[in-house]
Amino acid sequence: MSTSTLTKKEQSRTKSNWIAYLLISAPFFLMVLLIVYPASLSIIRTLRPEVNGTRRFGLENYLAFFSDHTSVTNLVFTLWSTGAIIALLFIICLPIALYLRFTESRIAHFVQGLALFPLFVPGIILAYALIRFIGPNGLLETFIEVTTGWQGYHTPYLKPSGSIIGLVWEGIPITVLVLTAGLAQVPDNLIEAARDVGAGRLQIFFQIILPLIGRSMLIAFALNFLGVIGAFTLPYLLGPAAPQMMGPFMQRTFYNVLNPDAAETQAVITFLLSSFVGFLYVRSAVRQQKEEA
Amino acid sequence: MSFLRKLGKDPFGIFIFIALFLFIIGPMISVILWAFSVQWRYPSLLPTQWGLKFWSQTFKRADILQALPLSLFLSLIVTLISAVICLPAAYAFARLKFRGSQFFLLSFLATNAFPRFGLYITIAVIFLKLNLVSTVLGVVLIQLVNTLLFMIWIPTAAFKGVDKSLEEAALDVGASRFRVFWQITLPQVIPAISAALMLTFVGTFYETQGAILIGLPGVRTMPVLMLSLINNQLVVQYGAILSLTLWIPSLLMLFFARRALSGKSLAAGFGV
Repeated sequence: MSTSTLTKKEQSRTKSNWIAYLLISAPFFLMVLLIVYPASLSIIRTLRPEVNGTRRFGLENYLAFFSDHTSVTNLVFTLWSTGAIIALLFIICLPIALYLRFTESRIAHFVQGLALFPLFVPGIILAYALIRFIGPNGLLETFIEVTTGWQGYHTPYLKPSGSIIGLVWEGIPITVLVLTAGLAQVPDNLIEAARDVGAGRLQIFFQIILPLIGRSMLIAFALNFLGVIGAFTLPYLLGPAAPQMMGPFMQRTFYNVLNPDAAETQAVITFLLSSFVGFLYVRSAVRQQKEEA
Repeated sequence: MSFLRKLGKDPFGIFIFIALFLFIIGPMISVILWAFSVQWRYPSLLPTQWGLKFWSQTFKRADILQALPLSLFLSLIVTLISAVICLPAAYAFARLKFRGSQFFLLSFLATNAFPRFGLYITIAVIFLKLNLVSTVLGVVLIQLVNTLLFMIWIPTAAFKGVDKSLEEAALDVGASRFRVFWQITLPQVIPAISAALMLTFVGTFYETQGAILIGLPGVRTMPVLMLSLINNQLVVQYGAILSLTLWIPSLLMLFFARRALSGKSLAAGFGV
Protein backbone atom coordinates (compact mmCIF):
# COMPACT_ATOMS: atom_id res chain seq x y z
CA MET A 1 0.00 0.00 0.00
CA SER A 2 1.42 3.37 -0.89
CA THR A 3 1.40 6.10 1.70
CA SER A 4 -0.84 8.29 -0.42
CA THR A 5 -3.84 5.99 0.08
CA LEU A 6 -3.62 6.29 3.87
CA THR A 7 -5.74 8.90 5.56
CA LYS A 8 -3.96 11.67 7.33
CA LYS A 9 -4.76 10.20 10.76
CA GLU A 10 -3.38 6.80 9.83
CA GLN A 11 -0.28 8.44 8.48
CA SER A 12 0.45 10.24 11.71
CA ARG A 13 -0.21 7.00 13.58
CA THR A 14 2.35 5.05 11.56
CA LYS A 15 4.80 7.85 12.06
CA SER A 16 4.31 7.98 15.83
CA ASN A 17 4.57 4.19 15.91
CA TRP A 18 7.99 4.37 14.41
CA ILE A 19 9.09 7.17 16.72
CA ALA A 20 7.74 5.35 19.77
CA TYR A 21 9.82 2.25 19.06
CA LEU A 22 12.84 4.44 18.54
CA LEU A 23 12.26 6.20 21.86
CA ILE A 24 11.89 3.03 23.90
CA SER A 25 14.62 1.08 22.14
CA ALA A 26 17.58 2.38 24.18
CA PRO A 27 16.33 1.45 27.67
CA PHE A 28 14.77 -1.75 26.37
CA PHE A 29 18.01 -3.00 24.80
CA LEU A 30 19.95 -1.97 27.88
CA MET A 31 17.53 -4.00 29.99
CA VAL A 32 17.85 -7.02 27.72
CA LEU A 33 21.63 -6.67 27.61
CA LEU A 34 22.12 -6.25 31.36
CA ILE A 35 19.38 -8.49 32.73
CA VAL A 36 17.80 -10.93 30.33
CA TYR A 37 21.02 -11.82 28.51
CA PRO A 38 23.31 -12.44 31.53
CA ALA A 39 20.58 -14.30 33.43
CA SER A 40 19.71 -16.63 30.54
CA LEU A 41 23.33 -17.12 29.60
CA SER A 42 24.14 -18.20 33.15
CA ILE A 43 21.22 -20.61 33.26
CA ILE A 44 22.40 -22.22 30.01
CA ARG A 45 26.09 -22.21 30.92
CA THR A 46 25.55 -23.84 34.30
CA LEU A 47 23.56 -26.58 32.57
CA ARG A 48 26.42 -27.19 30.14
CA PRO A 49 29.43 -28.06 32.29
CA GLU A 50 32.82 -28.68 30.80
CA VAL A 51 33.73 -32.34 31.00
CA ASN A 52 37.03 -33.55 29.50
CA GLY A 53 37.45 -30.32 27.57
CA THR A 54 34.04 -30.23 25.88
CA ARG A 55 30.82 -28.57 26.96
CA ARG A 56 27.67 -30.67 26.98
CA PHE A 57 24.36 -30.69 28.81
CA GLY A 58 24.53 -32.14 32.29
CA LEU A 59 23.69 -31.48 35.92
CA GLU A 60 27.26 -31.75 37.24
CA ASN A 61 27.34 -28.13 38.47
CA TYR A 62 24.17 -28.59 40.47
CA LEU A 63 25.18 -32.00 41.79
CA ALA A 64 28.41 -30.42 42.97
CA PHE A 65 26.47 -27.67 44.75
CA PHE A 66 24.08 -30.03 46.49
CA SER A 67 26.78 -32.48 47.52
CA ASP A 68 28.83 -29.71 49.13
CA HIS A 69 28.00 -29.41 52.81
CA THR A 70 28.82 -25.69 53.09
CA SER A 71 26.70 -24.78 50.06
CA VAL A 72 23.66 -26.69 51.31
CA THR A 73 24.02 -25.28 54.83
CA ASN A 74 24.19 -21.76 53.40
CA LEU A 75 21.14 -22.37 51.23
CA VAL A 76 19.08 -23.73 54.12
CA PHE A 77 20.27 -20.87 56.33
CA THR A 78 19.22 -18.33 53.67
CA LEU A 79 15.74 -19.83 53.40
CA TRP A 80 15.37 -20.01 57.16
CA SER A 81 16.45 -16.36 57.58
CA THR A 82 14.14 -15.26 54.79
CA GLY A 83 11.17 -16.95 56.45
CA ALA A 84 12.01 -15.40 59.81
CA ILE A 85 12.47 -11.92 58.32
CA ILE A 86 9.20 -11.98 56.40
CA ALA A 87 7.27 -13.33 59.40
CA LEU A 88 8.72 -10.59 61.63
CA LEU A 89 7.96 -7.92 59.04
CA PHE A 90 4.32 -8.93 58.87
CA ILE A 91 4.04 -9.15 62.67
CA ILE A 92 5.49 -5.64 62.99
CA CYS A 93 4.02 -3.91 59.94
CA LEU A 94 0.47 -5.22 59.77
CA PRO A 95 -0.50 -3.67 63.14
CA ILE A 96 1.21 -0.42 62.11
CA ALA A 97 -0.60 -0.33 58.76
CA LEU A 98 -3.95 -1.12 60.42
CA TYR A 99 -3.32 1.59 62.99
CA LEU A 100 -2.45 4.14 60.29
CA ARG A 101 -5.56 3.23 58.30
CA PHE A 102 -8.13 3.38 61.08
CA THR A 103 -6.92 5.85 63.67
CA GLU A 104 -7.71 9.54 63.77
CA SER A 105 -5.07 10.19 66.37
CA ARG A 106 -2.40 12.80 65.71
CA ILE A 107 0.28 10.34 66.69
CA ALA A 108 -0.34 8.49 63.43
CA HIS A 109 1.52 11.20 61.58
CA PHE A 110 4.67 10.56 63.60
CA VAL A 111 4.28 6.79 63.44
CA GLN A 112 4.11 6.99 59.64
CA GLY A 113 7.15 9.23 59.53
CA LEU A 114 9.14 6.79 61.64
CA ALA A 115 8.00 3.77 59.64
CA LEU A 116 9.06 5.37 56.33
CA PHE A 117 12.28 6.85 57.71
CA PRO A 118 14.46 3.81 56.82
CA LEU A 119 13.81 4.60 53.12
CA PHE A 120 16.22 7.47 53.62
CA VAL A 121 18.92 5.49 55.38
CA PRO A 122 21.24 3.67 52.97
CA GLY A 123 22.14 0.08 53.86
CA ILE A 124 25.79 0.85 54.41
CA ILE A 125 25.03 3.54 56.98
CA LEU A 126 22.45 1.32 58.65
CA ALA A 127 25.00 -1.49 58.96
CA TYR A 128 27.46 0.81 60.69
CA ALA A 129 24.76 2.28 62.94
CA LEU A 130 23.50 -1.14 64.00
CA ILE A 131 27.01 -2.33 64.85
CA ARG A 132 27.43 0.65 67.16
CA PHE A 133 23.93 0.18 68.59
CA ILE A 134 23.50 -3.56 69.12
CA GLY A 135 27.15 -4.56 68.86
CA PRO A 136 29.42 -5.49 71.77
CA ASN A 137 29.70 -2.57 74.23
CA GLY A 138 27.22 -0.73 72.02
CA LEU A 139 24.70 1.88 73.05
CA LEU A 140 21.99 -0.69 73.75
CA GLU A 141 24.19 -2.80 76.00
CA THR A 142 25.43 0.28 77.84
CA PHE A 143 21.91 1.59 78.22
CA ILE A 144 20.63 -1.70 79.63
CA GLU A 145 23.54 -1.97 82.02
CA VAL A 146 23.36 1.62 83.24
CA THR A 147 19.60 1.63 83.76
CA THR A 148 19.01 -1.89 85.09
CA GLY A 149 22.42 -3.15 86.11
CA TRP A 150 21.84 -6.36 84.13
CA GLN A 151 25.00 -7.68 82.54
CA GLY A 152 23.74 -10.66 80.55
CA TYR A 153 23.48 -8.90 77.16
CA HIS A 154 24.54 -11.09 74.25
CA THR A 155 25.11 -9.15 71.05
CA PRO A 156 23.36 -10.36 67.87
CA TYR A 157 26.21 -8.82 65.82
CA LEU A 158 27.89 -11.46 63.59
CA LYS A 159 25.19 -13.94 64.54
CA PRO A 160 22.20 -15.04 62.43
CA SER A 161 19.98 -12.61 64.34
CA GLY A 162 22.30 -9.75 63.32
CA SER A 163 21.47 -9.94 59.64
CA ILE A 164 17.81 -10.64 60.48
CA ILE A 165 17.56 -7.45 62.56
CA GLY A 166 19.22 -5.42 59.80
CA LEU A 167 17.02 -6.74 57.02
CA VAL A 168 13.85 -6.30 59.08
CA TRP A 169 14.86 -2.69 59.76
CA GLU A 170 15.36 -2.12 56.07
CA GLY A 171 12.13 -3.89 55.05
CA ILE A 172 9.75 -1.92 57.29
CA PRO A 173 9.01 1.06 54.98
CA ILE A 174 8.17 -0.92 51.85
CA THR A 175 6.02 -3.34 53.81
CA VAL A 176 4.13 -0.55 55.57
CA LEU A 177 3.79 1.37 52.30
CA VAL A 178 2.38 -1.58 50.37
CA LEU A 179 0.06 -2.72 53.17
CA THR A 180 -1.28 0.80 53.77
CA ALA A 181 -1.94 1.16 50.04
CA GLY A 182 -3.95 -2.07 50.20
CA LEU A 183 -5.83 -1.02 53.33
CA ALA A 184 -6.72 2.32 51.76
CA GLN A 185 -8.89 0.39 49.32
CA VAL A 186 -10.97 -1.19 52.11
CA PRO A 187 -14.19 0.86 52.12
CA ASP A 188 -15.20 2.46 55.43
CA ASN A 189 -18.88 1.64 55.02
CA LEU A 190 -18.13 -2.06 54.75
CA ILE A 191 -16.46 -2.00 58.14
CA GLU A 192 -19.22 0.14 59.63
CA ALA A 193 -21.87 -2.22 58.29
CA ALA A 194 -20.08 -5.19 59.84
CA ARG A 195 -19.78 -3.32 63.14
CA ASP A 196 -23.50 -2.50 63.03
CA VAL A 197 -24.41 -6.17 62.83
CA GLY A 198 -22.20 -6.82 65.83
CA ALA A 199 -18.97 -8.16 64.32
CA GLY A 200 -15.99 -8.03 66.65
CA ARG A 201 -12.59 -6.56 65.79
CA LEU A 202 -10.99 -9.93 65.06
CA GLN A 203 -13.94 -11.01 62.97
CA ILE A 204 -13.77 -7.81 60.91
CA PHE A 205 -10.07 -8.28 60.42
CA PHE A 206 -10.15 -11.92 59.35
CA GLN A 207 -13.39 -11.94 57.36
CA ILE A 208 -13.44 -8.51 55.73
CA ILE A 209 -10.05 -6.83 55.75
CA LEU A 210 -7.76 -9.80 55.17
CA PRO A 211 -9.49 -11.07 51.98
CA LEU A 212 -9.46 -7.51 50.57
CA ILE A 213 -5.75 -6.90 51.07
CA GLY A 214 -4.63 -10.26 49.69
CA ARG A 215 -2.87 -8.72 46.72
CA SER A 216 -1.00 -6.18 48.82
CA MET A 217 0.14 -8.92 51.17
CA LEU A 218 1.35 -10.91 48.18
CA ILE A 219 3.33 -7.94 46.81
CA ALA A 220 4.79 -7.21 50.24
CA PHE A 221 5.76 -10.87 50.54
CA ALA A 222 7.29 -11.01 47.07
CA LEU A 223 9.27 -7.75 47.37
CA ASN A 224 10.70 -8.80 50.73
CA PHE A 225 11.43 -12.34 49.59
CA LEU A 226 13.32 -11.12 46.52
CA GLY A 227 15.01 -8.41 48.55
CA VAL A 228 16.29 -10.78 51.22
CA ILE A 229 17.40 -13.57 48.86
CA GLY A 230 19.23 -10.98 46.75
CA ALA A 231 20.71 -9.06 49.70
CA PHE A 232 24.43 -8.61 50.17
CA THR A 233 25.53 -5.62 52.23
CA LEU A 234 23.65 -6.23 55.49
CA PRO A 235 24.20 -10.00 55.77
CA TYR A 236 27.85 -9.45 54.79
CA LEU A 237 28.45 -6.89 57.52
CA LEU A 238 26.07 -8.01 60.27
CA GLY A 239 25.69 -11.77 59.78
CA PRO A 240 27.93 -14.67 60.75
CA ALA A 241 30.85 -15.94 58.65
CA ALA A 242 29.37 -19.43 58.75
CA PRO A 243 26.68 -20.24 57.85
CA GLN A 244 26.47 -17.44 55.29
CA MET A 245 23.52 -16.10 53.39
CA MET A 246 23.64 -16.61 49.62
CA GLY A 247 24.66 -12.99 48.85
CA PRO A 248 27.95 -12.95 50.80
CA PHE A 249 28.50 -16.60 49.91
CA MET A 250 28.34 -15.84 46.17
CA GLN A 251 30.59 -12.82 46.57
CA ARG A 252 33.18 -14.91 48.44
CA THR A 253 33.03 -17.63 45.80
CA PHE A 254 33.45 -15.10 43.01
CA TYR A 255 35.97 -12.74 44.52
CA ASN A 256 37.96 -14.62 47.19
CA VAL A 257 37.77 -18.22 45.98
CA LEU A 258 37.99 -16.96 42.36
CA ASN A 259 35.56 -19.55 41.08
CA PRO A 260 33.08 -17.72 38.83
CA ASP A 261 31.56 -20.99 37.58
CA ALA A 262 30.53 -22.04 41.08
CA ALA A 263 29.31 -18.50 41.85
CA GLU A 264 27.23 -18.63 38.68
CA THR A 265 25.61 -21.91 39.79
CA GLN A 266 24.84 -20.37 43.18
CA ALA A 267 23.29 -17.36 41.45
CA VAL A 268 21.07 -19.53 39.25
CA ILE A 269 19.96 -21.44 42.34
CA THR A 270 18.81 -18.16 43.90
CA PHE A 271 16.93 -17.49 40.63
CA LEU A 272 15.21 -20.86 40.84
CA LEU A 273 14.34 -20.32 44.49
CA SER A 274 12.67 -17.03 43.77
CA SER A 275 11.34 -17.77 40.29
CA PHE A 276 7.87 -18.55 41.59
CA VAL A 277 7.78 -15.46 43.80
CA GLY A 278 9.15 -13.34 40.95
CA PHE A 279 6.42 -14.71 38.71
CA LEU A 280 3.72 -13.88 41.30
CA TYR A 281 5.11 -10.35 41.64
CA VAL A 282 5.16 -9.70 37.90
CA ARG A 283 1.71 -11.23 37.40
CA SER A 284 0.22 -9.11 40.14
CA ALA A 285 1.83 -5.94 38.75
CA VAL A 286 0.60 -6.83 35.24
CA ARG A 287 -2.96 -7.22 36.52
CA GLN A 288 -2.75 -3.93 38.35
CA GLN A 289 -1.60 -2.19 35.16
CA LYS A 290 -4.36 -3.74 33.09
CA GLU A 291 -7.01 -2.69 35.58
CA GLU A 292 -5.71 0.86 35.53
CA ALA A 293 -5.53 0.97 31.74
CA MET B 1 -2.57 19.86 79.09
CA SER B 2 -5.26 19.07 76.53
CA PHE B 3 -2.53 17.69 74.28
CA LEU B 4 -1.48 15.30 77.02
CA ARG B 5 -5.06 14.23 77.53
CA LYS B 6 -5.33 13.49 73.83
CA LEU B 7 -2.19 11.39 73.96
CA GLY B 8 -3.68 9.38 76.80
CA LYS B 9 -6.55 8.38 74.55
CA ASP B 10 -4.27 6.56 72.17
CA PRO B 11 -2.15 4.15 74.22
CA PHE B 12 -1.62 1.80 71.26
CA GLY B 13 -0.31 4.65 69.11
CA ILE B 14 2.07 5.71 71.86
CA PHE B 15 3.29 2.15 72.25
CA ILE B 16 3.98 1.81 68.51
CA PHE B 17 5.65 5.20 68.46
CA ILE B 18 8.00 4.43 71.33
CA ALA B 19 8.84 0.95 70.06
CA LEU B 20 9.52 2.21 66.53
CA PHE B 21 11.47 5.16 67.85
CA LEU B 22 13.82 2.92 69.84
CA PHE B 23 14.28 0.48 66.98
CA ILE B 24 14.55 2.95 64.10
CA ILE B 25 16.18 6.01 65.69
CA GLY B 26 18.28 4.26 68.36
CA PRO B 27 21.00 3.12 65.93
CA MET B 28 21.12 6.59 64.34
CA ILE B 29 21.65 8.21 67.74
CA SER B 30 24.66 6.04 68.44
CA VAL B 31 26.25 7.10 65.13
CA ILE B 32 25.73 10.78 65.92
CA LEU B 33 27.20 10.37 69.41
CA TRP B 34 30.26 8.55 68.05
CA ALA B 35 30.87 11.16 65.37
CA PHE B 36 31.20 13.92 67.96
CA SER B 37 33.20 12.01 70.52
CA VAL B 38 36.92 12.01 71.07
CA GLN B 39 36.82 9.29 73.67
CA TRP B 40 34.02 6.96 74.72
CA ARG B 41 34.92 4.40 77.34
CA TYR B 42 32.59 1.54 78.14
CA PRO B 43 30.36 1.54 80.20
CA SER B 44 29.66 5.25 80.01
CA LEU B 45 26.24 6.02 78.55
CA LEU B 46 27.59 9.12 76.77
CA PRO B 47 31.01 9.88 75.27
CA THR B 48 33.60 10.50 77.95
CA GLN B 49 35.15 13.29 75.89
CA TRP B 50 33.38 15.31 73.21
CA GLY B 51 35.02 17.03 70.30
CA LEU B 52 35.64 17.36 66.59
CA LYS B 53 39.19 16.07 66.66
CA PHE B 54 38.53 13.18 64.30
CA TRP B 55 36.70 15.19 61.64
CA SER B 56 39.80 16.80 60.18
CA GLN B 57 41.65 13.50 60.44
CA THR B 58 38.92 11.71 58.54
CA PHE B 59 38.91 14.15 55.68
CA LYS B 60 42.66 14.14 55.39
CA ARG B 61 42.66 10.44 54.53
CA ALA B 62 43.82 9.92 50.95
CA ASP B 63 41.36 7.07 50.28
CA ILE B 64 38.39 9.25 51.25
CA LEU B 65 39.61 12.22 49.23
CA GLN B 66 39.80 9.91 46.25
CA ALA B 67 36.54 8.05 46.72
CA LEU B 68 34.25 11.00 47.35
CA PRO B 69 34.71 12.78 43.98
CA LEU B 70 34.60 9.41 42.23
CA SER B 71 31.27 8.54 43.86
CA LEU B 72 29.75 11.92 43.03
CA PHE B 73 30.97 11.66 39.44
CA LEU B 74 29.61 8.12 39.03
CA SER B 75 26.20 9.05 40.46
CA LEU B 76 26.02 12.08 38.20
CA ILE B 77 26.96 10.13 35.06
CA VAL B 78 24.58 7.25 35.82
CA THR B 79 21.70 9.62 36.53
CA LEU B 80 22.41 11.57 33.37
CA ILE B 81 22.58 8.50 31.12
CA SER B 82 19.52 7.02 32.76
CA ALA B 83 17.56 10.26 32.23
CA VAL B 84 18.66 10.66 28.62
CA ILE B 85 17.56 7.17 27.64
CA CYS B 86 14.57 6.68 29.96
CA LEU B 87 12.70 9.98 29.87
CA PRO B 88 11.95 9.91 26.12
CA ALA B 89 10.83 6.30 26.58
CA ALA B 90 8.54 7.36 29.42
CA TYR B 91 7.02 10.01 27.15
CA ALA B 92 6.44 7.38 24.46
CA PHE B 93 4.83 4.98 26.93
CA ALA B 94 2.47 7.63 28.25
CA ARG B 95 1.55 9.57 25.12
CA LEU B 96 2.14 7.54 21.96
CA LYS B 97 0.04 4.60 20.86
CA PHE B 98 2.00 1.64 19.54
CA ARG B 99 1.66 -2.08 19.36
CA GLY B 100 3.02 -3.90 22.41
CA SER B 101 3.42 -0.78 24.55
CA GLN B 102 1.96 -2.61 27.59
CA PHE B 103 4.41 -5.45 27.12
CA PHE B 104 7.44 -3.21 26.76
CA LEU B 105 6.46 -1.13 29.79
CA LEU B 106 5.96 -4.22 31.92
CA SER B 107 9.19 -5.79 30.67
CA PHE B 108 11.10 -3.33 32.87
CA LEU B 109 9.71 -5.14 35.89
CA ALA B 110 12.37 -7.73 35.10
CA THR B 111 14.79 -5.45 36.98
CA ASN B 112 12.85 -6.19 40.16
CA ALA B 113 11.91 -9.79 39.51
CA PHE B 114 15.38 -11.26 40.00
CA PRO B 115 17.19 -11.53 43.31
CA ARG B 116 19.57 -8.61 42.93
CA PHE B 117 22.89 -10.06 43.96
CA GLY B 118 22.43 -13.27 41.98
CA LEU B 119 21.77 -11.12 38.92
CA TYR B 120 24.91 -9.09 39.58
CA ILE B 121 26.96 -12.29 39.76
CA THR B 122 25.75 -13.36 36.30
CA ILE B 123 26.60 -9.88 34.97
CA ALA B 124 29.99 -10.01 36.66
CA VAL B 125 30.79 -13.32 34.95
CA ILE B 126 30.27 -11.66 31.57
CA PHE B 127 32.10 -8.47 32.57
CA LEU B 128 35.04 -10.59 33.69
CA LYS B 129 35.44 -11.90 30.16
CA LEU B 130 34.97 -8.46 28.62
CA ASN B 131 37.61 -7.00 30.99
CA LEU B 132 35.01 -4.63 32.41
CA VAL B 133 35.67 -5.66 36.01
CA SER B 134 37.52 -2.98 37.96
CA THR B 135 36.67 -0.29 35.38
CA VAL B 136 34.50 2.82 35.64
CA LEU B 137 32.50 1.77 32.60
CA GLY B 138 31.66 -1.57 34.23
CA VAL B 139 30.43 0.14 37.39
CA VAL B 140 28.36 2.64 35.39
CA LEU B 141 26.68 -0.18 33.48
CA ILE B 142 25.84 -2.27 36.52
CA GLN B 143 24.54 0.75 38.39
CA LEU B 144 22.28 1.64 35.47
CA VAL B 145 20.39 -1.62 36.06
CA ASN B 146 19.00 -0.23 39.32
CA THR B 147 17.73 2.96 37.78
CA LEU B 148 15.67 1.80 34.80
CA LEU B 149 12.41 0.90 36.56
CA PHE B 150 12.17 4.12 38.62
CA MET B 151 13.27 6.31 35.74
CA ILE B 152 10.66 4.88 33.41
CA TRP B 153 7.67 4.12 35.59
CA ILE B 154 7.55 7.29 37.70
CA PRO B 155 7.82 9.69 34.71
CA THR B 156 5.40 7.54 32.69
CA ALA B 157 2.81 7.90 35.45
CA ALA B 158 3.50 11.65 35.47
CA PHE B 159 3.14 12.08 31.68
CA LYS B 160 -0.10 10.10 31.83
CA GLY B 161 -1.43 12.49 34.44
CA VAL B 162 -0.94 15.58 32.28
CA ASP B 163 -4.11 17.53 31.65
CA LYS B 164 -4.66 17.10 27.92
CA SER B 165 -7.39 19.75 27.60
CA LEU B 166 -4.84 22.47 28.35
CA GLU B 167 -2.56 21.19 25.58
CA GLU B 168 -5.40 21.02 23.10
CA ALA B 169 -6.53 24.51 23.95
CA ALA B 170 -3.01 25.81 23.33
CA LEU B 171 -2.78 23.94 20.02
CA ASP B 172 -6.16 25.42 18.99
CA VAL B 173 -4.95 28.97 19.47
CA GLY B 174 -1.99 28.19 17.24
CA ALA B 175 0.88 27.28 19.54
CA SER B 176 3.49 24.98 18.03
CA ARG B 177 3.82 21.41 19.30
CA PHE B 178 7.25 22.16 20.65
CA ARG B 179 6.01 25.22 22.51
CA VAL B 180 3.10 23.26 23.97
CA PHE B 181 5.47 20.58 25.20
CA TRP B 182 7.90 23.12 26.63
CA GLN B 183 5.43 25.46 28.27
CA ILE B 184 2.47 23.25 29.17
CA THR B 185 3.41 19.57 29.32
CA LEU B 186 6.84 19.87 30.91
CA PRO B 187 5.92 22.09 33.87
CA GLN B 188 3.27 19.57 34.90
CA VAL B 189 5.71 16.65 35.01
CA ILE B 190 8.71 18.46 36.47
CA PRO B 191 7.97 17.53 40.13
CA ALA B 192 7.72 13.80 39.41
CA ILE B 193 10.73 13.82 37.11
CA SER B 194 12.87 15.67 39.60
CA ALA B 195 11.80 13.16 42.23
CA ALA B 196 12.88 10.33 39.91
CA LEU B 197 16.19 12.09 39.20
CA MET B 198 16.82 12.61 42.87
CA LEU B 199 15.96 9.01 43.76
CA THR B 200 18.28 7.81 41.02
CA PHE B 201 21.15 10.04 42.06
CA VAL B 202 20.90 9.20 45.75
CA GLY B 203 20.25 5.51 45.08
CA THR B 204 23.32 5.31 42.86
CA PHE B 205 25.44 7.23 45.33
CA TYR B 206 24.77 4.56 47.96
CA GLU B 207 24.78 1.57 45.64
CA THR B 208 27.14 -0.95 47.22
CA GLN B 209 26.50 -4.45 45.86
CA GLY B 210 27.28 -3.80 42.21
CA ALA B 211 30.14 -1.46 43.01
CA ILE B 212 31.92 -3.95 45.25
CA LEU B 213 31.48 -6.82 42.79
CA ILE B 214 32.46 -4.96 39.60
CA GLY B 215 34.49 -2.04 40.93
CA LEU B 216 37.09 -3.73 43.12
CA PRO B 217 40.00 -3.50 43.18
CA GLY B 218 40.42 -0.57 40.78
CA VAL B 219 37.28 1.48 41.34
CA ARG B 220 36.56 2.18 45.01
CA THR B 221 33.40 4.18 45.63
CA MET B 222 32.49 5.74 48.96
CA PRO B 223 30.18 2.92 50.15
CA VAL B 224 32.78 0.31 49.21
CA LEU B 225 35.44 2.25 51.12
CA MET B 226 33.04 2.49 54.04
CA LEU B 227 32.66 -1.29 53.91
CA SER B 228 36.38 -1.80 54.37
CA LEU B 229 36.52 0.86 57.10
CA ILE B 230 33.82 -1.04 58.98
CA ASN B 231 35.60 -4.35 58.60
CA ASN B 232 39.05 -3.18 59.71
CA GLN B 233 37.99 -0.48 62.11
CA LEU B 234 40.93 0.91 63.96
CA VAL B 235 39.26 4.19 64.81
CA VAL B 236 35.52 3.96 65.40
CA GLN B 237 35.02 7.66 64.71
CA TYR B 238 36.07 7.40 61.02
CA GLY B 239 33.05 5.25 60.26
CA ALA B 240 30.71 7.45 62.29
CA ILE B 241 31.88 10.68 60.69
CA LEU B 242 31.75 9.15 57.25
CA SER B 243 28.25 7.80 57.89
CA LEU B 244 27.00 11.23 58.92
CA THR B 245 28.64 12.91 55.92
CA LEU B 246 27.46 10.30 53.47
CA TRP B 247 23.98 10.66 54.85
CA ILE B 248 23.69 14.32 53.78
CA PRO B 249 22.40 13.65 50.22
CA SER B 250 19.72 11.36 51.56
CA LEU B 251 18.65 13.83 54.23
CA LEU B 252 18.50 16.62 51.65
CA MET B 253 16.28 14.40 49.54
CA LEU B 254 14.07 13.71 52.54
CA PHE B 255 13.80 17.44 53.13
CA PHE B 256 13.20 18.62 49.56
CA ALA B 257 11.28 15.74 48.11
CA ARG B 258 8.71 15.20 50.82
CA ARG B 259 5.95 16.60 48.69
CA ALA B 260 7.03 15.23 45.33
CA LEU B 261 7.65 11.83 46.85
CA SER B 262 4.08 11.15 47.77
CA GLY B 263 3.35 7.55 48.58
CA LYS B 264 1.74 7.15 45.18
CA SER B 265 4.70 8.10 43.04
CA LEU B 266 6.95 6.00 45.25
CA ALA B 267 4.66 3.02 44.88
CA ALA B 268 4.81 3.44 41.09
CA GLY B 269 8.51 2.72 41.29
CA PHE B 270 7.88 -0.64 42.91
CA GLY B 271 5.28 -1.63 40.35
CA VAL B 272 2.50 -1.56 42.94
